[in-house]
Amino acid sequence: MVKVYRPSNLKEALEIISSEKCTLFAGGTDLMVKGKSWSGLEPSFDRPVVFISDLDELRKIKINEFFLTIGGACTFTRIIDNSQIPDFIKEAFIMIASPGIRNMATIGGNICNSSPAGDCLPLLYAMDASVVLESIYGRREVNIEDFILGPGKNVIGWNEILTEVRIPTKNFKIRAYRKVGTRKSTALSKVSFAGLAEIEGEELKDIRFAFGAVGPTVVRSRRIEKKIVEMVSEKKLEVGEIKKMYGSIIKPIDDQRSTANYRREVCLRFVENFLMSCKWR
Amino acid sequence: MKEVNKSVPKKDGMGLTVGKPAYTEDLAPQNALTVKVLRSPYPFARIKNIDTEKAEKLKGVKCVLTYKNVPRNIVTRAGQGYPEPSPHDKFILDEYVRYIGDEVAAVAAEDEVTAVEALKLIEVEYEKLEPVLDFERAEGHPSIIHPEKEAHEMFPTGFNPSKNIAAEYHMSFGDLDKTLKKCDYVVSERYYTQAQNHTAMETHSSFAYVDINGRLNIVSSTQTPFHARRIVGEALGLPLDKIRVIKPRIGGGYGGKQALHGEFLVALVALRTGRSAKLIYTREEVFEATYTRHPMRIDVTIGADKDGNIKAIDMEILSNTGAYAEHALTVFMVAGSKTLPLYNKAEAVRFGGKVVYTNHTPAGAFRGYGAVQGNFALEATIDKLALAVGKDPVEFRVQNMIKEGETSPVFKIMGEGTEGVDMTVDSCKLEYCVKRGMELCGWKDKYPRKQIGKNKVRGIGSAIAMQGSGIPCIDMGSAVIKLNDGGFFNLMVGATDIGTGSDTILAQIAAEALGVSTDKVVVYSSDTDLTPFDCGAYASSTTYVSGNAVYRAGRKMKGLIEKAGAERFGVSKDEVEFDGEFIRTKDGRNSVSLSQLSTELYYSNKQKQLMVCESFCGEVSPPPFLAGFAEVEVDLETGKVDLIDYTAVVDCGTPINPNLARIQIEGGLVQGIGMTMFEGVKYGENGKLLTNNFLQYRIPSRKDINKLTVEFAESYEPSGPFGAKSVGEIGTDTPPAAITNAIYNAIGVRVTKLPVTPEYILMELKKKMK
Repeated sequence: MVKVYRPSNLKEALEIISSEKCTLFAGGTDLMVKGKSWSGLEPSFDRPVVFISDLDELRKIKINEFFLTIGGACTFTRIIDNSQIPDFIKEAFIMIASPGIRNMATIGGNICNSSPAGDCLPLLYAMDASVVLESIYGRREVNIEDFILGPGKNVIGWNEILTEVRIPTKNFKIRAYRKVGTRKSTALSKVSFAGLAEIEGEELKDIRFAFGAVGPTVVRSRRIEKKIVEMVSEKKLEVGEIKKMYGSIIKPIDDQRSTANYRREVCLRFVENFLMSCKWR
Repeated sequence: MKEVNKSVPKKDGMGLTVGKPAYTEDLAPQNALTVKVLRSPYPFARIKNIDTEKAEKLKGVKCVLTYKNVPRNIVTRAGQGYPEPSPHDKFILDEYVRYIGDEVAAVAAEDEVTAVEALKLIEVEYEKLEPVLDFERAEGHPSIIHPEKEAHEMFPTGFNPSKNIAAEYHMSFGDLDKTLKKCDYVVSERYYTQAQNHTAMETHSSFAYVDINGRLNIVSSTQTPFHARRIVGEALGLPLDKIRVIKPRIGGGYGGKQALHGEFLVALVALRTGRSAKLIYTREEVFEATYTRHPMRIDVTIGADKDGNIKAIDMEILSNTGAYAEHALTVFMVAGSKTLPLYNKAEAVRFGGKVVYTNHTPAGAFRGYGAVQGNFALEATIDKLALAVGKDPVEFRVQNMIKEGETSPVFKIMGEGTEGVDMTVDSCKLEYCVKRGMELCGWKDKYPRKQIGKNKVRGIGSAIAMQGSGIPCIDMGSAVIKLNDGGFFNLMVGATDIGTGSDTILAQIAAEALGVSTDKVVVYSSDTDLTPFDCGAYASSTTYVSGNAVYRAGRKMKGLIEKAGAERFGVSKDEVEFDGEFIRTKDGRNSVSLSQLSTELYYSNKQKQLMVCESFCGEVSPPPFLAGFAEVEVDLETGKVDLIDYTAVVDCGTPINPNLARIQIEGGLVQGIGMTMFEGVKYGENGKLLTNNFLQYRIPSRKDINKLTVEFAESYEPSGPFGAKSVGEIGTDTPPAAITNAIYNAIGVRVTKLPVTPEYILMELKKKMK
């Protein structure tokens, strides 16, 4: 038997988790698999469970000229169905799993699960997203890159709930999101990739690349991005050199889904083709 | 034809759709004991000591079985006719365990939690042995997987366990080397196929109970209830009259349920405890501890003269049967016998090879049954040869392939485990299938490739295939038809509907033969006490073999009805006819409805029961044919291949039920596509199967299949019931060759190892660019 709480608002939920160590349960699509034993038996939980998927405070989606704010318990389906969210952001969510999973799984859960293969993460990294963590003592905002430490590891405290994801609503003229899996749905990524570029006239203002499933966390390098902008402004873009730089920081592994060689090669091809498709040259 | 060549709804379709209890687990008694199996964590080991005392003392545990307390009779679980072409190499439980997942012990408890708990309390001390994990190094390996003296073959099959050889076979006609030397074009290639899993939605299930007369009753998700009765009797040392096997509805078999699975264990528990006992496999057990497709290494060499006439074919195979040799010889032989006749003008043909034991999950029967592996190798090499000769591969096939009225020496030489039968193909619309398929898929426009975008190239590829219709002179099916008052019929068949809809199509055949409508035929199938014998649902036999038995029974029953009518009217039999509703004298003076006549026969006038039984055992095995066309799109950036379109035109004779025939083909295609593009099989270093669930083992999703186009050629097989041939397996055969041929045509990379992976394609593309 496991103790279960179903708080009716955020305050109540925060009070519960400040008094005992609990497992927060939003969509449960990862938790139910983790606790699974024999078929037909209930999954096991070693701590009291707090259901937070129904909390209104966590289900809001707001957009203004600076930020898109998505509540932590918004399901992927809710995000996809929202009319205000730009399509290129939705695309990362449409490609996740299957309709049944998308109806249950939440953005907050996906981030807190902190899997290197989490499909919405490369885009959030590339967009400079941050997450808001709340406890009874207050709230703090943490950059997504600082939030995730490694596979399944992040900085959230026992008494905190990830209440919001904040994504700067910056415009990018050139955008690419790619996911490579074994089949078209219900497959974990071999590689995922987000590429964004902002161009004004012939000038490259900003470029960002993020790579998923190729390291313990999503890979992004501001140093290389800055280098690309410099090269383009000096009209001396060396695609080969950029690929070499990314090649030295993308260090994937061989596993059941794919090989290190393949993953690195595909990432570098994404970078190359993205750069070749930009029209500043 | 009124009732056949008609898409009547599947008889059990609605009941299954609304979730009526129908499958083995649904029917198990509520208080049945749950059986769980302790499985080996080692690929090869000897059990030095096994202590079950703690498990037996756990509250709720009723029975623990180990090799020490079960009968020691060696059998094969293959589920084939008798004597089997598979060697007897399996005990119910043994002191040796031969793969990760092999049975160590079984526990029966009041509930699942207790049974699982009890498994943990069994203490086993293993002597680990050096496993044989690489099938190319199995022959003559220092580890002998079957050292037991009891292991034996039933007739000469090349069985040589001291060298880890489960079977060996060689044949040839013509002088291969000489003929190849004279050829202007000769191409060779080596291919590998993987240990595909059947992934039937219902996992392997069985339960057993002892009835009031002390007889053992087994309810099982089996494709072969009569073989199951025989093999359980043999393994347990029980007279066959003490055993009844019942097959309820089955949630898919695909060959995976031809062999026995949990029947021995539930039977033993029921006999020992007097309680009913059930064993429902988990998905992991299905993957790790049932059966797979035989992985093979196939070497093919084909030679043609300067005009592109195929003169010589050489096929050599090494097949991996895993830890036990179910279907070892026959699957391997079918790889040749159901592919080589396609190119029947070859003057010299050589086929041969070995089937080896390894410490992997055993391989067994699987839809396609060797033909799919052989087809991949043969048809990919045919494409390679066509390019060498400089011909369009489809034209090259048409020039060389078998045609109606022709024969092949292979038919006589090779059967399944024994010699085959001489036959001509009296129905073969392969030429039409190819021509129509080319139109449907837009071959002329699309061959060989089209650049779609900067990074996308499409290619189109083809393959042809044949299968059989039952095993001639071996497999028998029979049918009983009984007339009831009210004028309806019981059709009792041993034939085994495993979700295919065979109950429905057999009722259609009976109805057509009787001249009545299909809803007047009530079908009861697959119960060893109540239905006549049938070999079971395998070897593409039900429509042709069982269907012919039903056809004969229907015609005979029609004669009996007319005779009863003649007696009632006091005229000779020749003067009456039965039109499906009324029995009349031909002069029109007398008539009686079947409903009335049958009621009179029960209660009031010349009372008797009308009942007939007929059997059929084929003298030939008419092959169905198929032409398959695949269009793929290769992403040059990632190496990923998408299937855009698959077209199949099929000659299965008369489709008895076109809708059900279509889904047989579509389902077969999808399984073939899965084998070609998705279903990777991976092992850990110790031989542990890593792809043992649906997250790691990826069957294609609806999104991956895109468009399937299936059409049937007009064809009539003279020896089949109303012109029908088989349709169950042939859909599986062409995708591996057609898809890899399409990939070659798109990007010039030949994939010779299944499944196709983007990792391989991308690295090959990179090599080509250098």
